[in-house]
Amino acid sequence: MNRPLVRLSGITKSFSEVPANNSVDFTLYPGSVHGLLGENGAGKTTLMNILFGLYRPDSGKIFLREKETSIHSPLDAMKAGIGMVHQHFMLVRTLTVTENIMLGVPSSKFPFLDSRRVRDDIVRLSEVYRLNVDPDAPVSGLSVGEQQRVEILTALFQGADILILDEPTAVLTPGESEDLFSILRTLRDDGKGIVLISHKLEEILSIADEVTILRSGVVTGRTTVTADTTKKELTRMMVGRDVLFDFSGKKAPTGGVVLEISGLKARDDRGLSALDGVSLDVREGEILGLAGVDGNGQKELCQVITGVRESESGTMVFDGINLVPLSPKERIRAGVRHIPEDRQRSGLVMNWDIRRNLILKNYDSPKISGPLLLKAARIREQADEMIAAYAIKTQGGEEPVRNLSGGNQQKVILAREMGENPRLLIAEHPTRGLDIGATEYVRRCLLDRKAAGAAVLMVSADLEEIFQISDRIAVMYNGRILGVVKPEEGRNRVGMLMAGITDTNEDDRKRTAGTSADAPSKSGRAAGNELNPGEPEGELR
Amino acid sequence: MSGIWSVDFLVSLLAGTLRISTPILIPALGEIYTQRSGILNLGVEGLMIMGALCGFMGAFFSGSLWFGLFCAVLGGAVFSLIMGFLSITVGANQVIAGTALTILGTGFASFIYREAFGIRKLPPIVETFQSIRFPILSDIPVIGPILFSHNILVYLGWILVFVTWIVLEKTVFGLKVKAVGEYPKAADAKGIRVALIRYACVVIGGMYAGLGGAFMTLGFMDTYMDHMIAGRGFIAVSVVIFARWDPRRALWAALLFGGANALQMRLQAMGMGVPPQFLLALPYVLTIIVLVLVSKKVAFPSAFTVPYFRGDK
Amino acid sequence: MKPALKKIARASGRSPSGTSSPMKQASKKIAPISGRASFGKSFEAAAGRMWPSLIAVLLALFLCGILLALTGHNPLRAYATLLNGAFGNKNRFAETLVKTVPILILALGTSVAFRGKLWNIGGNGQYTAGAVAAVAVAVYVPLPIALRIPLSLLASLSAGILIGGGLGLLRAKLNANEVITTLMVNYIMVQLLSWLVNGPMMDPEGFGFPQTPLVPEAMKLPILLAGTRLHFGLIPALLTAAAAFVFWRTRAGFRIDLVGENPEVAAASGVKVSKNIVAAMALSAAVAAFAGWVDAFGLHGRLQENLSGDLGTIAVVVALLGGLNPVGITAASFFFSVLVVGGATMQRFEGVPYSLVGIIQGLIIVFIISRVVFDRFKEARRVRNLVR
Repeated sequence: MNRPLVRLSGITKSFSEVPANNSVDFTLYPGSVHGLLGENGAGKTTLMNILFGLYRPDSGKIFLREKETSIHSPLDAMKAGIGMVHQHFMLVRTLTVTENIMLGVPSSKFPFLDSRRVRDDIVRLSEVYRLNVDPDAPVSGLSVGEQQRVEILTALFQGADILILDEPTAVLTPGESEDLFSILRTLRDDGKGIVLISHKLEEILSIADEVTILRSGVVTGRTTVTADTTKKELTRMMVGRDVLFDFSGKKAPTGGVVLEISGLKARDDRGLSALDGVSLDVREGEILGLAGVDGNGQKELCQVITGVRESESGTMVFDGINLVPLSPKERIRAGVRHIPEDRQRSGLVMNWDIRRNLILKNYDSPKISGPLLLKAARIREQADEMIAAYAIKTQGGEEPVRNLSGGNQQKVILAREMGENPRLLIAEHPTRGLDIGATEYVRRCLLDRKAAGAAVLMVSADLEEIFQISDRIAVMYNGRILGVVKPEEGRNRVGMLMAGITDTNEDDRKRTAGTSADAPSKSGRAAGNELNPGEPEGELR
Repeated sequence: MSGIWSVDFLVSLLAGTLRISTPILIPALGEIYTQRSGILNLGVEGLMIMGALCGFMGAFFSGSLWFGLFCAVLGGAVFSLIMGFLSITVGANQVIAGTALTILGTGFASFIYREAFGIRKLPPIVETFQSIRFPILSDIPVIGPILFSHNILVYLGWILVFVTWIVLEKTVFGLKVKAVGEYPKAADAKGIRVALIRYACVVIGGMYAGLGGAFMTLGFMDTYMDHMIAGRGFIAVSVVIFARWDPRRALWAALLFGGANALQMRLQAMGMGVPPQFLLALPYVLTIIVLVLVSKKVAFPSAFTVPYFRGDK
Repeated sequence: MKPALKKIARASGRSPSGTSSPMKQASKKIAPISGRASFGKSFEAAAGRMWPSLIAVLLALFLCGILLALTGHNPLRAYATLLNGAFGNKNRFAETLVKTVPILILALGTSVAFRGKLWNIGGNGQYTAGAVAAVAVAVYVPLPIALRIPLSLLASLSAGILIGGGLGLLRAKLNANEVITTLMVNYIMVQLLSWLVNGPMMDPEGFGFPQTPLVPEAMKLPILLAGTRLHFGLIPALLTAAAAFVFWRTRAGFRIDLVGENPEVAAASGVKVSKNIVAAMALSAAVAAFAGWVDAFGLHGRLQENLSGDLGTIAVVVALLGGLNPVGITAASFFFSVLVVGGATMQRFEGVPYSLVGIIQGLIIVFIISRVVFDRFKEARRVRNLVR
């Protein structure tokens, strides 16, 4: 217990000039869960990527079991007993669980594969740690929780006694998170050292034995987690000030219904049912928060509303007009605007300058386009105005957006989508991946739109965000809206709904936590599509 | 001369099909490695013409056909490194890189040939690979001439189908190739060297293409001509898509194209009423039809034509 | 930050179209069509982008110089012969310009598809189709010449639209790789042309030569420079470049660029991606067919086998070398004509195989794409710095 598994000393890593880690010290002991806490961009992942050999530190030393080691690649790290479960799973979807695991371990029958031996070992290890993994299933058919367990299994398979998990609960339901934690506890009791990267305080408090807090690449705190450790204490170390943004005074009377959806059905890219009869209304002057674990149909719902995905049945009425037959262009003209989830892939043309990115939605309006030519001067001016109004940090309108920081890229989208006073604004994970300042800015923008009378539909997997600015909260599960609740009704209710549990009382909740260790919930998103919506509920009773 | 439906015609057609499918089959097998690893190498055409030239020159100057084959494989491998560099190290657009490779290969082969042989009345020739006589088997009527009357390269093509299948499905390397083509980042995280695997696949593809090109000069004709590959490299690429990256299916697809070609040659020789140009265009028309039929349905490797750099999003 | 935001929110809050009052004033102040200043700037920018192309060319010439030296030629003398062949006298210079015409138009056509990230490498086939349609109308349609000219143009363009649009449709709806389909059409057109000039369109008084009758003299494009083959086609070629320059500043051009850069964003912005793919391919091929039309009446006057030579491949290189913008393409097409015309002279007088020109082409592409990515590396590093 006293001999540390990992000791990082004075780790500094800059990406050209900007330091991501500045003289960071970090120690991990066997048989403990070590929380690595910090905001987005604080340098947590960078630090662990250094330990895992994905980056090399500019300076600083890595000691493994008190022996100085240099780790040049993930392969080195794995050989040294370090395993990492990334935020985005590093699994090849078309391959089976066994094949995925074989990728990372040397074969005894080299150059041929030794599938049978690996398969047997998977079954054995899976039993020891109660991971419940089918070795022959293709990864594409597994739920998110199952995929995560495959990742953990992979690390164990490679003989890892140091396990790094990067934001592991971001994609899990509260129930699945509990399952994960109980697996982590088993591993800890088995003497493994576990690093849990997170920005969620509750999580750290509930599972971590120790915590190291990073802010802007610097360690701002290090403490043992005890019953006395408070959220406030950790927050201060994490953000340097007590900011839980105050958006109070938001209660304003809401107006009539702007968008009314009922019985909406649609399929996802793979042809599976993604929306299974969604009914929902969004009103003038309100923010409707759409909560739910990623992949329960939120993305498809937004696509159907904006018109880039076709619905199979159901109605959408927008300000009294039938939205269904309208083309995306007509919906844009009618005032439906959209802040997409992945701004770099579906929100911006990364190679283009700010100017042209700002006119994507209205390049053919008389304002921007003359009878023949686009009005270059007008476009230039508009960009300058927007850059000033939204305080976009840039050298000028002709700068390609790929040169901008994430926050400023998001501002370009905000300027474009909000500049023309949308009637309906769909904001998909609008603050994902942004730093604190940009996050606050984006939330204020949404509130401003609301104040201006727009109907705002905000999709978010972050309950903090949902509760901060929503007037009502709709919870999406398995392609349906399971319920619409008021923020006052509390997080537990929303958490339950997110897990697909509609009938909540104190008793039930306890049982969920109790049973989950033995029978991991299958209510994950991928499996959810094929499952009968009632099933998880039944299983938990 | 007997009609279309005679046994002689069928035997000659099928034997021809097997022979003519070889220079499509072998490059296609190589391209399966390349595409499985996530790289579309449209430069097969250029690699084949280089292989054809290297093979010819190697055999011509050494007097050994086997040395010629060795030169062709080596030439294909070396030349394919350009594609590897552009698509892997540089991360360039693979369509353009492939086009560059084809232009470069065509120009280079033609230049070297002219420099080496000048302009002659009679083209330099080599003694080609002779058909193998299998005891007993070759004498079986019908089947003998169809299956057992070919030169070694035809059989090599069939062996390579099996080898390619084994390598891709049963070996560690094959599994890594698939992982790299589907999700390079995951492969990287598992300690697989993505660039190395992709280079290996591109070079293997180059070797196969070189071999396929050499079939044209050493096993089919006995001399080198500038336009002798005539789009076979591109046909091989569509064979790969048609075969959905499976070597066994590639054999059937290559036979289909070989069949169209063999039919064309025989009908032309028989002086049918159809203008020869229509028959000559047949394989190309078939390529478009095949591509149209399968492209919608097939699932391309996820990281197809996407370069990978560690640290990229 | 906050007050500023409120201001814009209020400013745009009033009218649904978002045209706030200061914006309205601004748009009145500026003429709707971009002034000369912005055109001048574009030229400047294009010139700035030309540097890397120049370096690529010099590198390619240098490497080929080494190759020449290795094969026992004097590279300096070879290149001097090349230049002399292209510029040596009035006639040679005229020949260079004659060659520039189809290369320029074809490359402009190619660039339309390329900017939409559609790799139309079927310039040869589309050029041939344009020429075939033009000659067919000119020779066989019994209409007055004055009507036959526009009709032939219409036929040429339709041939291009049919091929390009058709293959575009296959690509958009059935995901049939356009590289392969356009290329296969090249091979098919070679055979089709061969059949036509040996069969149905063969000149009955041509002593069995595989060629069609000549088009009526009155339909041939007038000669620009007496005593040479330089024909009037240079004017429409340059006009095509000018039209392309304008086109990229219109809505349609914007859409093609957008779909090429990011189809997902394009769809989200209300652009019909499939329709745009078809349109870009159709336009690209129509322009290529127009090149065939111009050459049919300006240069060939009839159809013969293998009419297009390697123009299509050259057009691909020229489009890339010109950075896919009309100004660059115009310069690059002239450069390549020098290479092609001079290269032929070089073969004649220095015994350097003409295929050297092919090697130069290939190397130029290799260097250009390597450079583009060298930039990308630098950019990527910059972005990563900003993100962390």
